[in-house]
Amino acid sequence: MAVPLISTAMVGHVFGPYDVTISADRANAYASAVGGDESPDYGESLAPIMVVAAALAELIEELGLFSGGLQTVHAGQEISWLRPIKIGEKVDARGKLTANSIRRGNHFATVSVCYKDSTGTEIATSSTTIIVSEEVSVAQQ
Amino acid sequence: MPNSNSQRTVGDTLAGFVRKITQDRVDAYAIASGDHNPIHLDEAYASTTQFGTRIAHGMLSLALVTEMLAAEFPFTWHDGGKLKVRFSAPVFPGETVETYGKITSIDDENGRLVATCTIGCKKPDGTDAVAGRATVPLE
Repeated sequence: MAVPLISTAMVGHVFGPYDVTISADRANAYASAVGGDESPDYGESLAPIMVVAAALAELIEELGLFSGGLQTVHAGQEISWLRPIKIGEKVDARGKLTANSIRRGNHFATVSVCYKDSTGTEIATSSTTIIVSEEVSVAQQ
Repeated sequence: MPNSNSQRTVGDTLAGFVRKITQDRVDAYAIASGDHNPIHLDEAYASTTQFGTRIAHGMLSLALVTEMLAAEFPFTWHDGGKLKVRFSAPVFPGETVETYGKITSIDDENGRLVATCTIGCKKPDGTDAVAGRATVPLE
């Protein structure tokens, strides 16, 4: 099994860019997963947390968290929105490893992500903190 | 719920809601997010993990919290809103969770009124699945 990137990546490592454009089908799936009578009407826009979730899925893949058989806990999340995002709007996400320390056999890693539209304008940011254990072969959350 | 953000005051509670997290919702969230980790989807695999069964995506619980914020602040949440949360406990399919929130302060930030709220999503036993705070422009 290849060594997962989380084990070797240095602070400053760049991830992506990932295309996190959200199609109407995925927006509909989101509505099925999350929606209810209380849900807001997003109109032509999407629930912007979708781009963060899409980028996170890409990060999990690139870091080798599941394929590497590593137990991963999604410990914390920060997000800021700068404007609404439309369904089908081209959005690219680029991440940077901003922390990666090892304590008692666990990696504590933080990846900051910047989301830009087709003009290169920043439209959202996020920061994901994960705890990765090398001792148990499970991935979670 | 106040009719407009100008009526917001410190101590206002946000209109939380309850949602049963079914496996169908988890399956749909996997499609929406692209996160197909089998711990969320494959019971045979999940039964071998420390949880003994499938768990919902942590981001699904957070998505419910953001639905509450989007409904409460429809004109400003997606235009300057911020959140910072911790994931405290997994949610298992079949559990019913409840979102909550409360305005703890309203401050002038560079000429724009911004509300700070405690936010979260509780499990049936009252423990937090996710908890933290959000800031939302009021104008």
